[in-house]
Amino acid sequence: MADYVLEVKNIDKVYGQGETEVYALRNLSFSVKRGEFMLIVGSSGSGKSTLLNMIGLLDRPTRGKVIIDGVDTSELNDNELSTFRNTKLGFIFQFSNLLSDLTVLENVTLPRKIQGTVQNSADEAKTLLKTVGLETQMHKFGNQISGGQAQRVAITRALIAKPAVVLADEPTGNLDSVSAETTVQLLKSLNRKLYQTFIIVTHDRHQFGEVDKVVTIKDGRILKEEMEANLA
Amino acid sequence: MDYRAQIGIRFITRRRGSLIAASLAVAIAILVVQVNSVIFQGLYDAIVRDQINYRFGHVYITRQEDYITKSDFMLVNWLERIPYVQAAAPRIDSAASINATIDGKIIRDYSVPVIGVDPVLDKEASTMYQTVGAGGQYVTYRDSVVLGAIVDRDLGFPQVGDNVKLKFKDQFGNDVLRRLTIVGITATAGSVGLDNSVIMNIDTLREILNRPHQTQSILVRLNDPTKDTDVKDLFLAAFPSSADKFKAQTIEESAEQTLSGFRSGIALINLVGYFGMMSSAFAVVTIQMMQVTSKTRDIGVMRAIGAKRKDVLLVFIFQGMVIGAIGAGLGTVMGVTYTAYAKETHMTFQGSLPLEVKYNWTSILQTDIMAFVLAVIASIYPAYKATRLEPVEAMRVG
Repeated sequence: MADYVLEVKNIDKVYGQGETEVYALRNLSFSVKRGEFMLIVGSSGSGKSTLLNMIGLLDRPTRGKVIIDGVDTSELNDNELSTFRNTKLGFIFQFSNLLSDLTVLENVTLPRKIQGTVQNSADEAKTLLKTVGLETQMHKFGNQISGGQAQRVAITRALIAKPAVVLADEPTGNLDSVSAETTVQLLKSLNRKLYQTFIIVTHDRHQFGEVDKVVTIKDGRILKEEMEANLA
Repeated sequence: MDYRAQIGIRFITRRRGSLIAASLAVAIAILVVQVNSVIFQGLYDAIVRDQINYRFGHVYITRQEDYITKSDFMLVNWLERIPYVQAAAPRIDSAASINATIDGKIIRDYSVPVIGVDPVLDKEASTMYQTVGAGGQYVTYRDSVVLGAIVDRDLGFPQVGDNVKLKFKDQFGNDVLRRLTIVGITATAGSVGLDNSVIMNIDTLREILNRPHQTQSILVRLNDPTKDTDVKDLFLAAFPSSADKFKAQTIEESAEQTLSGFRSGIALINLVGYFGMMSSAFAVVTIQMMQVTSKTRDIGVMRAIGAKRKDVLLVFIFQGMVIGAIGAGLGTVMGVTYTAYAKETHMTFQGSLPLEVKYNWTSILQTDIMAFVLAVIASIYPAYKATRLEPVEAMRVG
């Protein structure tokens, strides 16, 4: 039996009611195995970010289920969803979204502080920051580092709580080409090194080269789902 | 440190403008309450002080509906045997019309209150003798008189050594005219109308009023003012009211008519101060709402990575605590500095009544706690608004 870390089952996301009803997502289903590096691609307005918000439990689908690590998340209340996001999911946003009033180290350890497992978190954060080459920047504030560095900090923050899935929404969308390439390589190496599942939303499929799976979205529907064998 | 406290403190301390504005709002509210306290409580205490020093003592003894006929010598001696009693002195109050001849011109008669004092005993029981200005003395001699400063002004500024004429009515309604020599003029107004009064020797006044050996009141000064009720009770037990019809009152009772009005005034002024504090709470609400708006994206990020709504609530409550603590500290420094200034400069009311300025630490602490709690309460609504932000929306609009 396949080890699925994420299962999306028949989800719809509908905005508005009656005549103003708009389907942002329509009857979407797919699954992701543990350790996979998956892309969700599509043009602007295709619904890929909406889908990521559903998978990231930042928004609820109108219909259907999102099952993460075997847990049907539609059954969870607001507090349980928060806890679930904290322990099972890591987020990387387009605009790094570091808290500018916290230092790099404090930003990275924040998920662990929220979790209440602060023991060794600083040491683990320092190790991760070293992995991404930011060990000298850890005492700077979030707004005192470059965009590329901030995105690497955000990646570290997404990993610190050892989540089941890391979700990234256009992680290179706000970076120059050099930083973007560095970020892509970093994500892929972490995927291999940590056997960490990554689901990445991007409009630039080619930037990521070889990946395990690509789901293409158009008008809220899955246009095609390509596996590694077909991608090669 | 709890991460919510850390973030709350960072959010506000790294926005110095907001922190200064919010803390100043709290501090100024505390300062207003402190200034009110210094001025109006100081005025109230000054009035109590002067009522004790000049008019009533700590315990004021009279006889219901009549003069005291028992020997004042005996009563004073009896009272002074009580260990808490420092001194006691008899008094008679009356009224007279007064005139003076200055440069051959008679200054028209007008009515003045007259206070008859025992010059020896009164110096022990009252500080009224200290109101006599430089070059003057107390009413040691039988036909001497001390004029209140306003009486002196109204009479055309007669000097020490000049004479004034006073016309009394004795107890039978007969006019009695007396020429008295001015031995002093008051230099301190006090709060009991001394400036408008005339002080004279009690024996002379008894003779004029045809009330030999009678006394209108005995004021008792205590070395321990907290024992006023004990002394009052002891006196009334020794001289039961059924026989002597004595009336003994503590300063709160004797000066009640004067003080009750001031107490109401102080309560009203304090209310104004507390309204000021409410205004500062609104300022805190406004600044905290601005904080929530400026931190919307951060709130969204926190929620996305797992912070619960109550965690966001606590971040802004901690912010309110920082504002309250800094505001209370600053307000205390400002309030205490103002109190020290008032004390050092011997601040007076209308230039004549020295305020009784005290460091009321209980009141300062109460005001601080109230300001702190209000700042925290004022943070609840903005904090609640922050908790209602949905992560996706917050990150999109922030």
